[in-house]
Amino acid sequence: MRRPLLLLLPAVIPVAVVLGATLMLGLAQSLGLVPVVGDAKFDASAYRAVIASGDLWPALYVSLAIATAATAIALVVGLATALAVRATRIGGRVLATLAASTIPIPHIIGAAAIGLLLADSGWLPRLLGADDGSWPQLVAGPWWGAVVLEYAWKESAFIALVVVTSMAADAEELSDTAAVLGAGRRARLRHIVLPLAAPALITAGAISFIYALGSFEVPWLLGRAYPEPLPVLAYRLFTSTDLAVRPQALAVAMITVGLCLAVGVAALGLLRRRSVLT
Amino acid sequence: MPTKSNHRGRISRRTRWFAVLGGITLLASACSASGEPSRGTSTVGAPERSWDQIVEEAQGQTVSLWMWGGDTQGNAYVDDVLAPAAEKLGVTLNRVPITDTKDAINRILAEKQAGRTDGSVDLVWVNGDNFRTGQQAGIWLCDWAQDLPSFAFTADNDPLLANDFGTPVNGCESPWHKAQFTFVYDAARVSDPPRTMSDLLDWIRLNPGRFTYPAPPDFTGSVFVREALYASAGGYANVPAEFSQKAYDKVTPRLWDILDDIRESLWRSGQTYPKDTNQLDDLFASGAVDFTMTYGPATLTKRVADGTFPITTTVLILDEGTIGNASFLAIPTTSGNAAGAQVVANLALSPAQQVTKADPGVWGQFTALDVDALPADAALAFAALPTSPVVPRYDVLSRNANPELAAAWVPALDEGWRRNVLAPG
Repeated sequence: MRRPLLLLLPAVIPVAVVLGATLMLGLAQSLGLVPVVGDAKFDASAYRAVIASGDLWPALYVSLAIATAATAIALVVGLATALAVRATRIGGRVLATLAASTIPIPHIIGAAAIGLLLADSGWLPRLLGADDGSWPQLVAGPWWGAVVLEYAWKESAFIALVVVTSMAADAEELSDTAAVLGAGRRARLRHIVLPLAAPALITAGAISFIYALGSFEVPWLLGRAYPEPLPVLAYRLFTSTDLAVRPQALAVAMITVGLCLAVGVAALGLLRRRSVLT
Repeated sequence: MPTKSNHRGRISRRTRWFAVLGGITLLASACSASGEPSRGTSTVGAPERSWDQIVEEAQGQTVSLWMWGGDTQGNAYVDDVLAPAAEKLGVTLNRVPITDTKDAINRILAEKQAGRTDGSVDLVWVNGDNFRTGQQAGIWLCDWAQDLPSFAFTADNDPLLANDFGTPVNGCESPWHKAQFTFVYDAARVSDPPRTMSDLLDWIRLNPGRFTYPAPPDFTGSVFVREALYASAGGYANVPAEFSQKAYDKVTPRLWDILDDIRESLWRSGQTYPKDTNQLDDLFASGAVDFTMTYGPATLTKRVADGTFPITTTVLILDEGTIGNASFLAIPTTSGNAAGAQVVANLALSPAQQVTKADPGVWGQFTALDVDALPADAALAFAALPTSPVVPRYDVLSRNANPELAAAWVPALDEGWRRNVLAPG
């Protein structure tokens, strides 16, 4: 058990140092210890101000809703893609290549592309002749459709790849055996495939969820003006011409970090409970 | 093999300690560097030197000009006209496009906190609340702009150049151009264009879904709110230029009432707003709305010429005038190339560059110089400038120009708009 840990250290140390230092500095700024203007003081007034402004709860709500919807779609589509990849040889290879090719596209490029495709005057409504107002308001619309779609599209490819590579080779054998013993498609999916894919689904799903919670560029490009998701709120406060609100920006960032950590811990707990059970 | 595994365990423990120590050191250094700038408001003056000495020192320097990159003509002017001219003076000019001037301010603040003296920003295109924020944090090099040789060509005590949104300039930024806030409409779709701001508000109510404005704190959306404030108060004279909570409480309730009242008649029933002027321009170009607005009417000529905007695009001249301002080039104290930056700022303000830049085919930005007081040949060059088929001359546009409010109004109005107009919607 020690050897893999030791081998990981060169990768873990820089990450821990850089991330730890920035997080500590962010925390210090959110607590008023590193002001841009004025004197340093240690208190939670930035957190109180963010809560009192009434912007935090809508931000929290919309961020969680976007992350939940996007992750749910990505899990279903990702799992279906993974199963399709495993089911057929040539088609599977094509599908796997397609899924893999979306991975290196940065989210900001994906968001810009989705915007060009789905905006009111975008490519798709023009192609379908729906640029007369009948097109649904996906970009900057009330349901954050384009934002959820962008995350779901990118993350489903990621989830599919993780599930394909992590599902043991004996899944097919087990599946075949079950089929011989008379298990139907649904029974095999429920009792063999899903339990085998579950650890990968939980891990990849948690990563997707945390990413959607913390990323700025997609809701900023494709979202609406109000309410703002947490990262957009933090960015607006951070770039405000009023330098005194900067600790509030860091407070929002720290709250986002806390939320992400909580999701990560919950996912780990879920994984551990599963491994104890099986 | 217990011994080996023990050995490994020791190394990993020791390494962990190193990591912790390293982390603490890094943190300590970060904190000590950032503890310094909280002295804040003190301004840093440029060292006293003659212009020849500055030009001498500038030789071979590379100046990074951070400027909003959303204007292709502006980008082309800097790359193809200003940069080659700077090269002839021995200074390499490197344009850094940004989505918002606040990005540059943030970068300078971060570099100042880190104690850098060779920062990545040497020159910033700036004005208004961004300039004030920088002054507040003491990031601008001061007391140099009035000594530039080209500054002699500006008008004495030009109010637009002496105060930037009410903040005294104090030689902390050098003028670059003047601008006039402008409404733009498509004459093919608007048959009876409004003549005043209150006419415009009526037009919006009568034509639901055909008008919108960018959401403040976007620069352009923010000016629109100030235009509406002047209209709601019955003229700019009724709004005190200096910000005070009392004045704010007195004049804004009526403004929020009006903006809230037209909200339902905006594009998408005011459920959302364009993020910035580019998004509004896209809506105008695709025919989703009939109006757009800009603080840089210079861009209109090219947009009509290349077919982005319809040929029927027309500038709306309001009877009561619109808000006008000037924009500047500022040098941060973190710049290691301040001499080169001053050479570029001087070049940018020179009559030759100002006249080229004012050509609608180049950039079409209105000059910051006093054209009447220029030497005869330079004045002739200005007189010979081609006129734009879309944008009227500056003296027409700036007729009855309204002054900008003090910069402290801007964040207060932006925040008030969020609370009173955006959030309830």
